[in-house]
Amino acid sequence: MSQLNITSHQEILHFPKGGKPTLAPNEWQAWSGSQDEGGLPDLEYGTHKVLVPFTWWRSQINSHQHEADIIAKTKNGQIGVWFATDDDILKHADVIDAGKQVWPLVAAHFPIFRDGRSFSTAALLRNRFAWQGEIRAIGDVLIDQLLQGARVGFDSFGLRPDQKLDVALKQFDLYTVTTQNSWRDQRSTLSA
Amino acid sequence: MYKYDAIDQTLVDQRVAQFRDQVARRLDGTLAEEEFRPLRLQNGLYHQRHAYMLRVAIPYGLFSAKQLRTLALISEKYDRGYGHFTTRQNIQYNWVTLEDTPDILAELAKVEMHAIQTSGNCIRNITSDAFAGVAADEYVDTRPICELLRQWSTLHPEFAHLPRKFKFAVNGAKEDRTVLLCHDVGIELNKNAAGELTADIYAGGGMGRTPILGSLIKQGLPWNVLPSYLTALLRVYNRFGRRDNLYKARIKILVKALGPEEFARQVEGEWAHIRNSDDNFTQAEWERVARHFTKPAYKTLSALSNEEIIHTATQSEQAAFARWLERNVKPHQVPGYASVILSLKPHGTVAPGDATTAQMNAIADLADQYSFGELRVTHEQNLVLADVEHAKLFELWQEAKKQKVALPNIGLLTDIIACPGGDFCSLANAKSLPIAKAIQERFDDLDYLFDLGDISLNISGCINSCGHHHVGNIGVLGVDKDGEEWYQITLGGEQGNDTSIGKVIGPSFYADEIPDVITNVINTYVGERSGDEPFIETYRRVGVAPFKEAAYRDKGENAKKKERAIEGGVA
Repeated sequence: MSQLNITSHQEILHFPKGGKPTLAPNEWQAWSGSQDEGGLPDLEYGTHKVLVPFTWWRSQINSHQHEADIIAKTKNGQIGVWFATDDDILKHADVIDAGKQVWPLVAAHFPIFRDGRSFSTAALLRNRFAWQGEIRAIGDVLIDQLLQGARVGFDSFGLRPDQKLDVALKQFDLYTVTTQNSWRDQRSTLSA
Repeated sequence: MYKYDAIDQTLVDQRVAQFRDQVARRLDGTLAEEEFRPLRLQNGLYHQRHAYMLRVAIPYGLFSAKQLRTLALISEKYDRGYGHFTTRQNIQYNWVTLEDTPDILAELAKVEMHAIQTSGNCIRNITSDAFAGVAADEYVDTRPICELLRQWSTLHPEFAHLPRKFKFAVNGAKEDRTVLLCHDVGIELNKNAAGELTADIYAGGGMGRTPILGSLIKQGLPWNVLPSYLTALLRVYNRFGRRDNLYKARIKILVKALGPEEFARQVEGEWAHIRNSDDNFTQAEWERVARHFTKPAYKTLSALSNEEIIHTATQSEQAAFARWLERNVKPHQVPGYASVILSLKPHGTVAPGDATTAQMNAIADLADQYSFGELRVTHEQNLVLADVEHAKLFELWQEAKKQKVALPNIGLLTDIIACPGGDFCSLANAKSLPIAKAIQERFDDLDYLFDLGDISLNISGCINSCGHHHVGNIGVLGVDKDGEEWYQITLGGEQGNDTSIGKVIGPSFYADEIPDVITNVINTYVGERSGDEPFIETYRRVGVAPFKEAAYRDKGENAKKKERAIEGGVA
């Protein structure tokens, strides 16, 4: 788990639905879930906001040992969750429905740019779970995935650190038409 | 045929601009080759043995004379004077440069063509019956649904990085000419008792290393809910298809692992949530698209009998013309019209499916003159003029002969399907084209070919099976053994309504043994057949044993000969 490529660019590309793409400093650190790294990063003295793995969230919520503390920190906007590509989110609908009440944001991971599973994760979070909050793409997030990601439901992107942000910002107005519906836009019609 | 509206045109123009920028980033080094690769593949650009290869879509096989002239122009200006038509209704150029590709795509966009999703792990160019809209045995014209699905699948964001490539075929005729069951998804269109258009969905078919026929997972699906149903199906595959092993990543492996019933159940479960979504096609959408597929301005003609058509030829040419009518001319829905197949399978001179710049231009003229300016490309890599008047067939035949596309070998042994193989393709283990050439040269006797009748021979240069060897009555597969090119023979494959996967008959052969092996197999058929029985029926009746025995009859002798030759060479 410690080999995970979850470190993002220092600036996050935000592209809210109906809005314009902008850059803002990254306030969130994604944690791999590895206990080798000393467990959950210190929220008091280290980074103030941490994305925790969904599997870890489930284990903590079920353990009841730290649940109250974690929920309190989550409600305080300090903990969000990220979904791995092999998390079957439909299997844990109850956890997600409960999480929706407290999570300040969620993220979905790309272990490699050509793995499209998180596109379906984002689509399901928007369509099935009606998640209204932020969905961030993390991991191997490259310039040429941004448009697809923005259409399926992502509205923020932690790009891989080597990606050029000025080029990234230009991706969203490449197309003025679309031939299928997506979370962001309806298919183009001539009469509309 | 379909005409782009401003939305379609804008989309392909903007796709060219996007790709131009991606190529520029590749050329200035900011985009690494490994990361550019999926991007170029999703736009049909492969890196092959000698150069880049560009695969251009001919959606559901239908194109215009004007488009063919642009394809000809590209072959002349950017390639080496020819193009290769493929089994999946695309055309490939083997000698393009990366730097030229954006300009080629811009040329294509001017005539409403593109290379979008002709490769890569996404929904590929959708294929259908080359005779859609004209075939006498058709119950539904597939073209409006194909076009609606083309638009729906174009740049679909959720399914841009599937575990592996994803191929749709759509059939609407009594006789399947699409190899429907060998596709990731086969859509069979029909009309229900109320006259409404419905679809039966087959999933999990494919060729490659593990050939499997698709399973029926849904019957009677209303046409308009295809987008939501296919979204559900693709979503299940995108989430659960294997990504750990390239060779186990196709949907066929998932369907096989779950079982077709369980796969169907999961799709149904997902679909239940989205079946009423506004992703579905509307009646207005249908009308916007379907109005392009109305019948052309057919004349009111009385049909000529075969005898009458033969007599439109001069006496000395009647015998040869009759042969062409028998093999290359197909029945039509409209009295007095027929569909003509132009053979791109001359014996031993060019690769199966190849057409030169001059041929493409001339064939475009023939389409304008004889067939309302439209053409089709078939799964067998030939071209079709779909709407030819009976009374003009003789004239067209004479013109086609001048272009060397009138060989009456459609459906015969030399109408070989072949991939470009090791001469071009960097995936291939062995060459395909010299094998096709050697077989065509060996069987260069039309009397004999006519006597043999319907028989398919398909050649793939590797297990990716682009030459569809699994469904050839005789299949030839190139394999690599210790750096040498060998060929494995399968028998009993079949496309059409009785689609079957051929069986490997035994150890593979050297390239130079293949013509003898095929000869022995054919002689066995001739000896065993009863009456007019086609090859496949004889094979099914008598089984593989006599064919196998014949195929290996000379094996020992050949091996000795080769050993002697090698020893002689060393000495």
